[in-house]
Amino acid sequence: MGIIVRDLHKAFGPKVVLDGFSVEARDGETLVVLGGSGSGKSVMLKHLVGLLIPDAGEVEVDGQVVSTLKQEELFELRRKVGYVFQFAALFDSMTLAENVAMGLRRKSDLDEEGIADRVDECLRLVDLEGYGDRAPAELSGGQRKRAGIARAIATRPQYLLYDEPTTGLDPVTRAMIDQLILRMSEELGVTGIVITHDMDSAFRVADRFAMLHNGRCRFHGSPDEIRASEDPVVRGFIEGRPELLEMES
Amino acid sequence: MQPLLKPFAMLGQGGVPFAAGIGRWGQLTADTVRAVRHVDVWLRLLLPQMARVGVDSVPIALFIALFTGIVLALQASYTFTGAIPLYFVGVLVGKTMMLELGPVLTGLALSGRVGANIAAEIGTMRVTEQIDALETLAYPPVAYLVVPRALAGIIMFPVVTALAIGMGIVAGWITAIQLLDMSSADFFNGLTLFFLPFDVTYAMIKATSFGFIVTSIGCFFGFHTKGGAEGVGDATTRAVVASSMAILVLNAFWAIVLL
Repeated sequence: MGIIVRDLHKAFGPKVVLDGFSVEARDGETLVVLGGSGSGKSVMLKHLVGLLIPDAGEVEVDGQVVSTLKQEELFELRRKVGYVFQFAALFDSMTLAENVAMGLRRKSDLDEEGIADRVDECLRLVDLEGYGDRAPAELSGGQRKRAGIARAIATRPQYLLYDEPTTGLDPVTRAMIDQLILRMSEELGVTGIVITHDMDSAFRVADRFAMLHNGRCRFHGSPDEIRASEDPVVRGFIEGRPELLEMES
Repeated sequence: MQPLLKPFAMLGQGGVPFAAGIGRWGQLTADTVRAVRHVDVWLRLLLPQMARVGVDSVPIALFIALFTGIVLALQASYTFTGAIPLYFVGVLVGKTMMLELGPVLTGLALSGRVGANIAAEIGTMRVTEQIDALETLAYPPVAYLVVPRALAGIIMFPVVTALAIGMGIVAGWITAIQLLDMSSADFFNGLTLFFLPFDVTYAMIKATSFGFIVTSIGCFFGFHTKGGAEGVGDATTRAVVASSMAILVLNAFWAIVLL
């Protein structure tokens, strides 16, 4: 059923962050949302799992309007969604294995042995085999990010939301995470929304692109369409040419 | 603005956020009561929290009670000399430790130790998105973070307070027989002279309410932390100040209502 964002508005005090943003991620596809720093991409993503309530507009995930769900219904929906946080958001009082197991204890019917097997499998997938006993503070930035992905995919969700999954990582780790995102989509049919500034990564994983600019959707289309776009804002962003963005403003 | 209106404006500027804060704390308290039904979420966290809130606080509570008991016995003797029989030292030490100093000093000490710890921990979780992560993993954050801490406070504050009262009385007794011209029989005669079982009930009611107020205020300021390290520091300070003030207000409230 996918994810549909309709005319989303959100302001924090006088600062309008989202001003009628609309976008759709169809079932099984990976949608990459582009946008400058502070453009509201993370704010938009948090609306998809009910971490923020829209001022106006609505978000539909798996056929359910998120802002109208009661608490128990929201928890049920969240069982189907994995969320990769920008700075991993690992629980620092727990080991890595306990972090990955957290969602499984709440979202799955696995017994302790099954949970341990799944944790090992997920840590292996993100190349962190043997790190289960480490505390998050003992990991590098890249390792923490991969651990955040392992935690999000552990429950085998239908939907995966990635908040800048490759920012600040070395090229090899970036490529590895891109492959993981592709694998989630191709092998497990996961519907993904990826927020990123990393254009190489974006072109590797995207089935479609959207661009968030001034609180609205500036572009929505395929990778070929964004490459061919004549819009100076889109071109300025994907080519890293600030002069085009300045011309627009 | 007219000068005469300025005090009212200042009162409003301070009073409105204060009233809003009380309202938000009340909302969190109501959410906490509702979240108790998620037993599967908080039950396994209760014992570790009881250890952190209670067992780890015993040394500081006993330390404070030890010296309070010594000072109480000596000051009672100094005040009573020549006017009141010395066995009243036992009355004063027992009654004061049980009705007032045991619960209040323990509560104030634990508001610094436990309240600050809770506010800093939950505040750090807030600013590093760990609370958001809990929600995305389908954990109700109030059930996971607030309920076990509040229950641990409610259960363990009376235990720690009872130990502190015991320590204060023992310290007063040893002081009386070692430093004052009193026998153990005199001291315990005084200790039991005006003792009422209600004294214990009164002390435990106060300690229970302090346990809830310290932990819930710590959680409240932690949950509403904004910004980074500065925000966490600010939340921690506010939690300690607010819970200390709340203890003193509650202390007066119970005296008015129950005595």
